[in-house]
Amino acid sequence: MTNALTAPLLLPLGTALVCCLLVGRPSVERRVFIAASAAVQCAVAFWLAWRAFNGPPLVLPLGNWAPPLGIVLVADGLSGIMLCLSSVVSLACVLFGYAETPVEVEQPLRLPLMQLLAAGINLAFITGDLFNLFVAFEIMLVASYALLTLEANDRDIKEAFPYLAVNIFGSSLFLIAAGMAYTVFGTLNMADISRRAADMPGDFGALLVAVLLVVVFGIKAGIFPLYYWLPNSYPILHFSLGAFYSGMLTKVGVYVLLRMLGTVFPHTLTPIYTGLAWLAGLTMVLAVLGAVSRSFIRGILSFHIVSQIGYMVLAIGFFTPLAIGACIYYVIHHIIVKSSLFLIGGTAMYYNHTDHLPRMGGLWKASPVLGVCFLLQAFSLAGVPPLSGFWGKYLILFAGFKDGHYWLVLAALVASILTLVSMLKIWLGAFWEDVPRDGTIEPQTSGAARAMTAIVCALTTLSLAIGFGVGIFLPLAQSAADSLLDPAIYRRAVFNLTGKGAP
Amino acid sequence: MKAVVDSFLLRALIGLVFLLVNIVSIYLLLRGHNLPGGGFIGGLMTGMSFLLLGLARGWTELQRELPVPPLRLATFGVALAAVSGAAPMLVGQPFLTQWQFHLTNVPLFREIHLGTPLIFDFGVFLLVSCITVKLIIVLARSTAGLPAFTPGEVPYYSSTLEDPIEHEPPAEESHGN
Repeated sequence: MTNALTAPLLLPLGTALVCCLLVGRPSVERRVFIAASAAVQCAVAFWLAWRAFNGPPLVLPLGNWAPPLGIVLVADGLSGIMLCLSSVVSLACVLFGYAETPVEVEQPLRLPLMQLLAAGINLAFITGDLFNLFVAFEIMLVASYALLTLEANDRDIKEAFPYLAVNIFGSSLFLIAAGMAYTVFGTLNMADISRRAADMPGDFGALLVAVLLVVVFGIKAGIFPLYYWLPNSYPILHFSLGAFYSGMLTKVGVYVLLRMLGTVFPHTLTPIYTGLAWLAGLTMVLAVLGAVSRSFIRGILSFHIVSQIGYMVLAIGFFTPLAIGACIYYVIHHIIVKSSLFLIGGTAMYYNHTDHLPRMGGLWKASPVLGVCFLLQAFSLAGVPPLSGFWGKYLILFAGFKDGHYWLVLAALVASILTLVSMLKIWLGAFWEDVPRDGTIEPQTSGAARAMTAIVCALTTLSLAIGFGVGIFLPLAQSAADSLLDPAIYRRAVFNLTGKGAP
Repeated sequence: MKAVVDSFLLRALIGLVFLLVNIVSIYLLLRGHNLPGGGFIGGLMTGMSFLLLGLARGWTELQRELPVPPLRLATFGVALAAVSGAAPMLVGQPFLTQWQFHLTNVPLFREIHLGTPLIFDFGVFLLVSCITVKLIIVLARSTAGLPAFTPGEVPYYSSTLEDPIEHEPPAEESHGN
């Protein structure tokens, strides 16, 4: 039992509340306060992850009610990794937002809502209860709806409608699935569901609940038939927010898919795994084609999110311990790389005043450091050795080869090459070519541009460390995967608790 | 902006119904710990009662008469709920631990069972009722053709250099109020 587990939820929530209650208008002091809070959240997340890795999962029964009666918060290795990633990306995006937007024009509700979004995301990572997970998704989604439309102009705001409609549809489906889970299993505690589901193999109700939940989280993650909402809605965000959205939101879906299929449901749902793998293959290829067809940075990067989700879900679809470990490593790699690419796009937009490629150019001369960062991250995203993306893709493809999924491996390779093509498109359009006649470029490097470049460099260094330190990060991911795939560890940690109402 | 129908009967009746609805909603709030009810349902009822009030008196009137901005009160509600949840952590108990007090020999009531969940529930009540009121006011204002926020509120909802979404001149004062 440890109350520290509430910190990833309470710190961002408290920050948002203080901002709304005490300081309604943006000011430099408020910015410092929020940045300090984000840094503290980062430190707490790393401390929690360290404790979760060196010992059994951390568990907290809320209100001292023993599971399965009460709600529990659980943090195991995977949750710890995700908490660290979300807090690092949140800190980077908050700082980048400061450089991107002067304090006089900052939207007063942007940072409080972003903290609320972080609170929802963190709760989704640590909760051990299905309905509580629904609540976490709602906190996250409500904040994300508000942020999406907060600074959108009249023309862009209509792109938010598909986002709203698909996510509300997904949430309703989630609620129905949670109700069905309670009917079928008689409990909503994840550890208890896993215990009862193991005792009813081949039960139709259990299978139906599993399929419904996979569909719900597939929608949230943005898998093939229902990904259209994502690539059009993210480009209406500012770059700092877009980086946070692209890094974390869909990955919550991937995390919950891992948790559900790895820990909660028995490992016998082969038709679901096969279906997921094929949908993932389609997602990868179709989304990367979308990316190639776009001509502005945010659009290309947004399609890439969907395409990369395909790789992670493909790994879940293979469902071997190796593939799950590779998936977790890929998530670590992807969140950092994708967010930093968005932030690089933001810096490029600062120089060129637009992110429309035909009107951009000359960035290689203006800021070679930014160009190097972009090249490193773009090659990493495409999977060029020895950068982080290469190891992730290599391991996933290796896992697929061992099981004989040759077509899916081929699809992943094709998607990889097309990723490189679309990245070259950004490279040529924004960095290599000269500024076209109707474009503009900021003549001097200002303090804001230096701050942005510094943040981008820090994330790129982190990403390089993940790539070159594969010997450290891969065993971490693998040990998280092993404890994820062993429901006994999770159940033991949860049911060892004593409290009110214990049987 | 005046009420749609100005009739004495309607106003008197709505005043009465407003009172009754709020008595029921407080009853629901108080019984919520052990029986169906609670802050969420009570808050929804209270919020909806303001819909009646707004219909009778007109929305700008209603907004002027509210003693505090609803969103501030809602934020205070969340803060109250969060603090009441977090307070047990100071004495080493898990987050959201609650206590009950049983008072006996109270005059008039004989015995009263008080619990700290009531504080949490009151926070939820404030949040839900005030958010509902705010939503109703904003929706009613925009259906009536007014800008969603009054000029005094705008600095808290938009940055200084942002384009307003509505480009019509504010018709607030010239709307026959």
